[in-house]
Amino acid sequence: MNWHDVTDLAGSILLFAGAAVCLTGVIGMLRLPDVLTRSHAATNPQTLGMLLIVAGVALRLRSGVDLGTLALVAFFQLLTSAVAAHLVARAAYRTGQVGEVALLRDELASARDRS
Amino acid sequence: MKLANDILLNGALVLIVLAGALLLVRIWRGPSMLDRAVSVDIAAVLIIAGIGVNAAITRTSYYLSIMLVIAFLGFTSSVAIARFIAARDRPGIRPRSGVISLKKDFKKDLMKDQGSKERP
Repeated sequence: MNWHDVTDLAGSILLFAGAAVCLTGVIGMLRLPDVLTRSHAATNPQTLGMLLIVAGVALRLRSGVDLGTLALVAFFQLLTSAVAAHLVARAAYRTGQVGEVALLRDELASARDRS
Repeated sequence: MKLANDILLNGALVLIVLAGALLLVRIWRGPSMLDRAVSVDIAAVLIIAGIGVNAAITRTSYYLSIMLVIAFLGFTSSVAIARFIAARDRPGIRPRSGVISLKKDFKKDLMKDQGSKERP
């Protein structure tokens, strides 16, 4: 049992864990009631699941160019998912699809009324 | 050792396919377009995960550039929906009863939102 086997097994375990995290995020998408809470559930596969998958692929492939490509994949995914989530949450608030009962305090309301 | 690798990788594929099937349910009956926008974001992540598991099983790196392109451009669809479609879309089913007070001045908000776009 040399180190190739060990990294292969570790990569497989990371890939399986990443797939499980993706599945939990999708279950959250199905069960949560609101756009904002669904966006909260969607964050989990977009960051943790994607990072686990990319780390697993990197441990299985183990070559320089592929590591660079995978690092770029992780970087761009982390960069762009925040932009998309922000715009979706903003549109949900502006079109009134946020349940006010679920919010204890709506601190954006005063700014929205002033604008 | 090889058996454990095969079980883990094929199990990961099964989990990803199951997650995609459940995600189609959410896209089918998401009450608003914003729910579908979030779902499409997760669909891009699931495609990335599937390509990654495929690359790990076959040990080929031909499709990694496709992963890069999807990670880079996957957010444009949901940005377009949130910016241009969701303002027009008014779903009939609202999640909580408290949104009625917000719904009243929806039109005023929308006009302000579009008016603020014309300013530089």
